Amino acid sequence: MAIPNLLKLLLPALFPSWRFFDVIGPSPRVELCLTDNPENDEAVWRECRPRPAQLRFRDRLTGFFWNARWNETLYLTNCAERFIQGQEEHASREIRRRLRSDLLRAEGEGDGGNIPAFFRFRLVFVSRDDDSLRRDVAFVSPPYQTVDPLDR
Amino acid sequence: MSLDLAIRLTEILLSIALIQQSLEHVFGLRDERVHYFVRLVLSVLLLVGIQPQWVCVALFINALFILRRFQGPYNGGSDLLSVLLITCLCAVHLMPSAQWQEYVFGYLALQVVFSYFKSGWAKVIYRDWRSGQALRDVFAFSVYPVSEATREWATQPRLLWAMSWAVILLELLFPLAMLSPEALAAGLTLAMAFHVANFVMFGFNRFVWVWAAAYPSLIWLQARLDLLG
Repeated sequence: MAIPNLLKLLLPALFPSWRFFDVIGPSPRVELCLTDNPENDEAVWRECRPRPAQLRFRDRLTGFFWNARWNETLYLTNCAERFIQGQEEHASREIRRRLRSDLLRAEGEGDGGNIPAFFRFRLVFVSRDDDSLRRDVAFVSPPYQTVDPLDR
Repeated sequence: MSLDLAIRLTEILLSIALIQQSLEHVFGLRDERVHYFVRLVLSVLLLVGIQPQWVCVALFINALFILRRFQGPYNGGSDLLSVLLITCLCAVHLMPSAQWQEYVFGYLALQVVFSYFKSGWAKVIYRDWRSGQALRDVFAFSVYPVSEATREWATQPRLLWAMSWAVILLELLFPLAMLSPEALAAGLTLAMAFHVANFVMFGFNRFVWVWAAAYPSLIWLQARLDLLG
């Protein structure tokens, strides 16, 4: 572990800035598309982990003790922000591995037999433009294999 | 509240918060699970009170590994306060005298007060916060609202203006809670209600647990300041 790098990570915890929600800037979304052909540019994008229409009281109560999925979703968007700020390699890997994990989990068995062989993700930033919202695509990833035992 | 009692209460509440965090990673990626399994075991030891000084040192090393694993905090401010709490508990146990222990715990309490005050100051200097627009933006397009129904709050500008000022005033005035035990009781109750509201609207459950773990340091510091007259 390089000491200067560790100190860089530790110091914000020892001397925090405590500036929660000061400026509401462009807000990241991670979007995903699946394809069998990595050369195919005609992608159908969908939002990764869309929020539910409503949460039941029971879900909220459970979430007070166990909110793993939501906290990971917040971490994904944090990775999107870090990617734009320059932590490209780490953030991209984190997003990629978690999306892959989502896809395999959705498939049920985890073998990826019925899902397309490749996926791409893109980072979209939503912001206010006067009275409407605007969406800017900041990054589109290359295609990644949906099943890659070396990158799970 | 004596310093020893405040330290022990902090250990208990922090270990509960860390157990809660660790369990959330049970089904996470393989290379993060190992760190949180270690954290889980250490937190149980801290909760029981076995060799707290060495457990805190081990938790500090574990926190460094986790910071390195995620190249920063996983869960924003709640992780930052977790690391601060672990570091201060570790330092408290390593200090040569009670006076130095007080300095460390005083620093922790001061940072908790700052966590409210600086946050309030960072908001009040922006026009968008004073007008309620910032909170409307939070609900309208930020990633934080837990459901589409929660997003609908963005269509209530008057309510959000009032909520903005309630948050700003709570955060800016929080240091006044240190003036008396009664003021602190009221301040902590309001602050905890604020954290619970953040959980209900934005799903920030970890913040509730971790900030509660920091409250014994405030109770101790307030009593200590009272003694100083």
